[in-house]
Amino acid sequence: MKEGVGAVGDRITGVVLLLVAVVAWWLSHDYTSSFGQTIGPGAFPRLVSVPLGLLSLYLIARPGVNQRWPERSALLRQLSLLVLLMVYAGLIQPLGFLPTALLTVTLVIRLFGASWRQALPFGLLLTLGLYLLFEFALGMPLPDMPGMNW
Amino acid sequence: MELLAFLAQGFAVALEPQHLFLALVGCALGTLIGALPGLGPVNGVALMIPLTFNFSLSATAALILLVSIYYGCMYGGRISSILLNIPGDEPAMMTTLDGFPMAQQGRGGEALGLTGVASFVGALVSTVGLVLFAPVLVNFAIRFGPAEYFALFVLAFATIGGVTGGHLAKSFLAACLGLLLGTVGIDAVSSVPRYTFGWYELYDGIDFIVALVGLFAISECLVFLEDSHQGRKPTMTLGSALPGVRTAWRCRGSIGRSSVLGFIAGVLPGAGAALGSFLSYTLERRWQGARGDFGNGDPHGVAAPEAGNNAAAGGALIPMLSLGIPGSGTTAILLALLLSMNITPGPLLFENQPELVWGLVAALFIGNLMLLALNIPLVGLFARVLRAPGWFLMPMVVMVAFVGVYSLGNSAFDLYLMLAFGVLGYVLRKLEIPTVPVVLGLLLGGQMEYNLRRAMSISGGDWSIIWNSGISVGIYLFAIALLLGGLLFHWLMKRRR
Repeated sequence: MKEGVGAVGDRITGVVLLLVAVVAWWLSHDYTSSFGQTIGPGAFPRLVSVPLGLLSLYLIARPGVNQRWPERSALLRQLSLLVLLMVYAGLIQPLGFLPTALLTVTLVIRLFGASWRQALPFGLLLTLGLYLLFEFALGMPLPDMPGMNW
Repeated sequence: MELLAFLAQGFAVALEPQHLFLALVGCALGTLIGALPGLGPVNGVALMIPLTFNFSLSATAALILLVSIYYGCMYGGRISSILLNIPGDEPAMMTTLDGFPMAQQGRGGEALGLTGVASFVGALVSTVGLVLFAPVLVNFAIRFGPAEYFALFVLAFATIGGVTGGHLAKSFLAACLGLLLGTVGIDAVSSVPRYTFGWYELYDGIDFIVALVGLFAISECLVFLEDSHQGRKPTMTLGSALPGVRTAWRCRGSIGRSSVLGFIAGVLPGAGAALGSFLSYTLERRWQGARGDFGNGDPHGVAAPEAGNNAAAGGALIPMLSLGIPGSGTTAILLALLLSMNITPGPLLFENQPELVWGLVAALFIGNLMLLALNIPLVGLFARVLRAPGWFLMPMVVMVAFVGVYSLGNSAFDLYLMLAFGVLGYVLRKLEIPTVPVVLGLLLGGQMEYNLRRAMSISGGDWSIIWNSGISVGIYLFAIALLLGGLLFHWLMKRRR
């Protein structure tokens, strides 16, 4: 059995989803069209936001169990992964695929617990492999490094 | 007899060299993905979709590849269940109960051989079932109008939670969230942008594939980072898998019963392979009674869930192909693939593109044979993959996801969106809110809304059209029956504990 912890998470989720439902309901009234349609673009979102809101209320009242939340060190690793991947997403167009991927992949492999001696060659291998696969085998050009157009 | 002609046509399609090759690649890759703990059929197929697009395969070829992966995963999931006591994917969970004890007794090879045969029979039974029952359902569905389709979508959502279990309200919450996310973007009918908050990147709506890869692959990496899986290596000797074939003959009753049961579980919308293996194991334990030695490496307890989950996998394709309503997470992804190639499953698909449908069916028969060959003599090869360290595997998943999603639209925004969905998927998993209903909602929301609006314009704004035909009332009643049945089932299971 999975370890259950307190229901605070469920209550918070209920509140957040209730807010989403209310905002969705509110905004849906702006979505009108000038055509003579029997039901406009706002109707379906409104139809969905009602059960969403009601179920959120139910979740607040009768929460279930959650899994254990990660500890500080795990949370730090997860955040680092997200930051690294955001850096990747931000740099791929200005810097090109090869340097960006090589940098981030190597660091990601390190993050998953490899030593530098393992991370460097495998990072290089993975980057080059994907580059060759997409650039040549699939014919999908990835962004090149600036000043390197061949 | 018409059926045989269609099948013959299908085999002609499936036996084309390119399709044969893709089926083989898919089977091997699927077994591999299924065997790796943490990468189930949903993640595996989700990860492959962007690649499929980049290969610019025809719809038939892409479908053959992905369905072979899907069947392969069902075979592969048993390998790490038996050898490591870690289910390779969710449906393989029940296989650990008797499979791992068998491996501890040095009968790992026998267990793998036995489950290979059981998987083969299960998949074969369900593929035959697909041939027999899908056309029946299609003939029925040809009479459906928009109101009936709307009812069908309600059925799909009503049964997601009821059958898969857990906190019922959470499944429905997830479905509503998915439906709401599905409305983001420009409304196709009126061209009004909805919930875009001025971001023009969102005008085309949330790309289903981006959301999918985020929800499954990225969140899986986040889960992996939480606890390190190091130090679990298959150390015992495998032994030959061939004695397992003889054991399978002894368990033929279990395999047969479980295949039929699994198939039925698979056809029900919202159930899927996990339920198939669960029901099969439970039934078999009852059936064997005092004769069985369940929990301590009884071969019947290994054969039953494997036959059950493979049979369910094939059964789940029936509602997906004939109605356009996916029965499980993986079939939802296959449906997404079809929709993004502008192919709408349903009765018209069988009429207009029989070569696709029957080619797929024939490919399933061929793929199943390939999988049998891959999984009995060559199973040791796949078992060796389990030694691959996590630091190699997970970064590879991340990178394939990133490059694949990026090249869909050459947009960095998609990457950020994928990360956001990864975090969402992770949080939902921690909250024990299932992610599959989110995916289904996102995927089916557009169609559901479209059918609702068409029905309303037919009736001139009269809402009663939604429940005015005998067929829709029947569907709603069926949904309620399934829902109540699911609740009853859970109540009984809880009481027994």
